[in-house]
Amino acid sequence: MSDLEAYRAQAATWLESMAPTFGKAARQSLSEADDLALARRYQAAKFEAGYAGINWPVEYGGQGLGHLEKVTFDSEEMKHGFPNAYFGISLGMPVPILMQFGEDKAFVKERVLKALRGEEIWCQLFSEPAGGSDLAGLRTKAEPDGNGWKINGQKVWTSWAQYSDYGVIVVRTDPNVPKHKGLTYFWVDMKAPGVTVRPIKLAGGDSHVNEVFFDDVKVSDDHRMSPVGGGFAVAMATLMIERYVATDSGGFGPHLNLFVELAKATQINGRPAIEDGRIRQQIARNYAMRAGLDAITARAMAMMQAGMTPGPEGSLNKLISVRSRQKLSELAIDLQGSEGFAFDDHASQKDNWTSSWINAPTGRIAGGADEMLLNTIAEKILGLPQDHRPDKGVPFNQIPA
Amino acid sequence: MSILYDEGQQAIATESRRILEARMSKDALLPLLETTGRYHAGFWDTAKEQGWTALALPEEYGGLALGLVELGLIAHQAGRTVSGAPFLTSGFGAAKAIELYGSDPQKARWLPGLATGEIIGTVAFAEGADALPTQPQLTFTDDRLDGTMTGVTGGLAADIAVVLANGPGMAVLAVAELGDVQRRAVQSFDNSRCYADLAFKNTTAELLASGRPARDAALHILALQAVITAHEQTGGAEAMMEVARDYALTRRAFGQVIGAFQSVKHRIAELYGFVELARANCIHAASRAGAADFITAAAAARLSATEAYDTAARDAIQIHGGIGVTWEAGLHLHMRRARSLAIEQGNGLFWEDVLVDHLTGEIA
Repeated sequence: MSDLEAYRAQAATWLESMAPTFGKAARQSLSEADDLALARRYQAAKFEAGYAGINWPVEYGGQGLGHLEKVTFDSEEMKHGFPNAYFGISLGMPVPILMQFGEDKAFVKERVLKALRGEEIWCQLFSEPAGGSDLAGLRTKAEPDGNGWKINGQKVWTSWAQYSDYGVIVVRTDPNVPKHKGLTYFWVDMKAPGVTVRPIKLAGGDSHVNEVFFDDVKVSDDHRMSPVGGGFAVAMATLMIERYVATDSGGFGPHLNLFVELAKATQINGRPAIEDGRIRQQIARNYAMRAGLDAITARAMAMMQAGMTPGPEGSLNKLISVRSRQKLSELAIDLQGSEGFAFDDHASQKDNWTSSWINAPTGRIAGGADEMLLNTIAEKILGLPQDHRPDKGVPFNQIPA
Repeated sequence: MSILYDEGQQAIATESRRILEARMSKDALLPLLETTGRYHAGFWDTAKEQGWTALALPEEYGGLALGLVELGLIAHQAGRTVSGAPFLTSGFGAAKAIELYGSDPQKARWLPGLATGEIIGTVAFAEGADALPTQPQLTFTDDRLDGTMTGVTGGLAADIAVVLANGPGMAVLAVAELGDVQRRAVQSFDNSRCYADLAFKNTTAELLASGRPARDAALHILALQAVITAHEQTGGAEAMMEVARDYALTRRAFGQVIGAFQSVKHRIAELYGFVELARANCIHAASRAGAADFITAAAAARLSATEAYDTAARDAIQIHGGIGVTWEAGLHLHMRRARSLAIEQGNGLFWEDVLVDHLTGEIA
């Protein structure tokens, strides 16, 4: 058994032992407040067991291991339905970026430890009503105010802002220069006066994202994490951190086995649906697609293990898996016919086709819309040119609205 | 078997690509489309000279004892340049059938010649859309074959064929010399594949396997060939993706290169997805030779590679516009090859059924 396999086995055993207390079944009828409380206890248990901050430096309370161990743990953890989503953004991007760019080491260390134990949550305040894919088009501004800054504006789609203690934010500090050049990166106290958080109910019924309003929110200059006007680079660094994440060729929807089971249990024209060529073709095509994504992931893992850099094909996973899951979920609802109208908005999108279907559009937009991912593949991997951008080089305050 | 290519394997890929790019050209391939019975002799000579014919055969019969991974790498490069003859895959299938199911005398008789390429082998299982008929029309009685096999790949040039026939009360896997067999050339859209209808009449054949094992053996041979073909298809798809990308970077319209239009650049980015899924499935399948899940891995590779090559050929031509549909541009060489390879070794419908049967446990 390789070291990594041994690590996987050990992690799997520990996760198995946690499942009765924190797993899917234990969470079934909890209110969100109770679920969050359970989640904090689960995160603390992970910290105690050495499974928090797996690939983070030991000096900050991490385990000092590699991406491989982290991805290995994450892929095992995914199987049990643990309440880890509340910390997904927090530990995924803002806190690592704080470790990288935070100046006050004692402060950083205290924040990191509390985040690792689940005591504090961080959010990421990037998208705005006027700019999602076009991040650099953001309008929230920070103006000099005494020795510090004063923030005004609105952010949106901010995951878990309603439970967050802190956030990282990109704001415009100079509207007189082209859009990428006038941005600055700060951290903010989400409990500060002038910060208002309003949850947004999504199409599927849940409300994990928020609008966040900033009205004369004062931050001192030691909150600044980039040079003035150098915020875009730190924002890009933030988005690059999660290059090595556990992927799911099922697009974070149900496993293909569940579709096969459904097709076996359903009849078309008096015969099992599994004998229907249209259904069989979709099973075969989806299997081949998922097997390809799994093989890409396996190869990336093997390359990392061999000390090599994985190829760029890993970037295909979300694009291909989520839109396929969306179509397969539609077909699964078709298969159920008049029994397919039922909807439980608490059902998991991992094992319920209707929940998978109704939440699929979010997956195709969040974390990079399909169209942006295609642009990235075309430009960064294949060397095709950027789109025509009428606002290129134009000072932000002269871009036609 | 590792899914990372080692240094030797990378050298095979680099060297075969170098040689094929130097020796293959569309100018030599285009005339082959307009005549039957001719293949690109330079390609086949290269395959023999480089030892590609011997690559995956046992050492004791003159082989190099390498496997699907290495032969797959060669096939990928051959696919990139449009391979000039079908015998690398067809001969490999015939040799594997003899190696895995033949007797020692049969192996000694055929394998050394197949390894050097002096003997051209082929596999003839398909009857129309049925890649692996349960009741073959071809009959095997008293070591004699009777019946006609249509559209046999390489049939015009092959010296021996491995066939699936209807024996006395059971299926039979057999090998036959084609010397006396009547061959009728198929006037095809991809003539260098040397497709022929083979009329067996009281043709001497030797038994390799019979009964249920014969059918299982035939499926296994088909799966081995399918993995090699999938590599070839992926190579062709990759070449088409690159040619589309290169053209989109130079051709200008409406004041900019056409690759700056999302309708074009996204189409090419989608091709990248098809190619990488196919490549990953190919590498995985080649590494699963001998494992219990080999058939499903082979089916997945085959399905994704067929989709990748058809799509890439179709879209590369579309992106080229008018010049893409000319004879001289030669993109149709890939469009034709994408379709001929899609049928050889069983079409997509066949592999979909094989895959779903395995996934649902209908075939243990």
